[in-house]
Amino acid sequence: MTGEAKLIVQGLSHHYPDEYTGESVHALDNIDLKIYENEFVAIVGPSGCGKTTFLNIIAGLLPYREGRAMVDGVDIKGPGPDRGVVFQEHAILPWRTVSRNIGHGLELRRTPKAETQRRVQEYVDLVGLSGFEDRYPHELSGGMKQRVAVARTLCADPVIMLMDEPFAAVDAQTRITLQDELNRVVMATEKTILFITHSVEEAAFLGDRCIVFSRRPGRIKSEIKIDIPRAERQWKDMVNNSKFTDARDEILGLVRSEVTSNDDG
Amino acid sequence: MTALTDFSISIQRRFGRQRLRKFILGLIPFALLIGLWELNTAFVWFDPVEIPPIADVWEAIFWLQSDCPGFMAAVDGHNSCQLSNNILSSIGRVILATVVGVPLGIGFGILAGMNRTISAYLEPIGVFMNSVSGIAWIPLAVVWFGVGWETTLFIMLNTIFWLLFFNTMMGVRAVPKVLVQGVQTLGGSHLDAIRQVYLPGAMPSIITGGRMAMGFGWRALIAAEMIGGDSGLGFMIFVSASEFKTEEVFLGVILISIIFLATDRWILVPLEKWTIERWGLVWKPT
Repeated sequence: MTGEAKLIVQGLSHHYPDEYTGESVHALDNIDLKIYENEFVAIVGPSGCGKTTFLNIIAGLLPYREGRAMVDGVDIKGPGPDRGVVFQEHAILPWRTVSRNIGHGLELRRTPKAETQRRVQEYVDLVGLSGFEDRYPHELSGGMKQRVAVARTLCADPVIMLMDEPFAAVDAQTRITLQDELNRVVMATEKTILFITHSVEEAAFLGDRCIVFSRRPGRIKSEIKIDIPRAERQWKDMVNNSKFTDARDEILGLVRSEVTSNDDG
Repeated sequence: MTALTDFSISIQRRFGRQRLRKFILGLIPFALLIGLWELNTAFVWFDPVEIPPIADVWEAIFWLQSDCPGFMAAVDGHNSCQLSNNILSSIGRVILATVVGVPLGIGFGILAGMNRTISAYLEPIGVFMNSVSGIAWIPLAVVWFGVGWETTLFIMLNTIFWLLFFNTMMGVRAVPKVLVQGVQTLGGSHLDAIRQVYLPGAMPSIITGGRMAMGFGWRALIAAEMIGGDSGLGFMIFVSASEFKTEEVFLGVILISIIFLATDRWILVPLEKWTIERWGLVWKPT
């Protein structure tokens, strides 16, 4: 990878007390990871493997004590606009219109009105929501809401965009459209992205690199590079792309072995 | 006939068929009640001292205002404008208690909803205060503040505050955490989260609390005026009843209902429409 590392994680481990038993749960074990500029890294793993915990730590929503995590060379301490998050669902504000949701980050930064308006329009157009600027979220479909969520995060211009299973809650047809669109948006904005998913296909389709997490405690089990130019990543072409199918099958094998292995990890 | 049809069509255009139907159905019980009332006047089942004729109740308005020098004097609270003075004094106390009690209740409710330590302090006393009916404080308030506006204001404030406190706290707790996290990851501060997430997010619950506060607050106020007040509609009803001026009592009761209905229709309902309905936070029958 060219460019500088935007996210550096060194020896990150995490324990938390179980809500009911109070016992210490070992969620993450000694994670080392670097994500470079304009790179799309997808983390895939079985449910409960700690991948969402990992994202929450990077987002600054979960305090950590063991190891280091830095964005642009600065240690992560709490949430900040340098790390924008797209959550699974229902994270845009119901009391703000589409354009006020998208411009929220700029508004919090007291960006001048004209500038905000211009940028908001740019991202409204980018995610294909022209004409819906003044609608409230309850008037939108699930897929449109997630488009707003993506635009809201991008409009705030973060160093890295963190995505936590953003398309898990929409129907299969919409998911495919959103994945295609995300590729287009990533090409246009050249963002650095950390993407969490439990869908192997999604990880292989979107990621420049796929990190497979082991079962709890989450470790980096392996790393697969997927060398397909982003411009070629469209679902209509992918079924016949051997690079994609090979990567998908390899990741699927790795994840499946994690799910079926019964030893206590 | 055509005039009537035109009229009915124009009403339907304004309200819509369903709403017109609802409106008319809602009016029927009132019409029945008024009909029975009129029949009572005709057949005198009950003595006029017990149930006065509608005309007498109507006339009581003018009788009570008969010494009033005019509209401006009534607005100024001239001594001889009995009815308008009592209305203004009740409404004035409702406004004062609302202006003080609502922001305080919402403020403490937000703090308690966000912070477990604060709610650990305030929740038990809140449950205690809410379990004691507002009017149970009247005798004590009379001892503390004497007969007058302080007692009635205290009773109403006490009722409003705890209801809003509780409902706001519950509303804030029901705000999905991910909405707050969303604002935090966009660079929002705690204050931003309060203003832009917790407050609007708790709005459905706050409006419910406002409804309850208005209902219970009005009732407590009327009771407080009867026992510990020296003015207001409750006071007027109480004095009139002791002098067997039943038409004034009827007038007072009707006025209380109308004023209460007006606050609900003209303040709480529009607020609801403008906020939680517009944001899609309210369940609507389709």
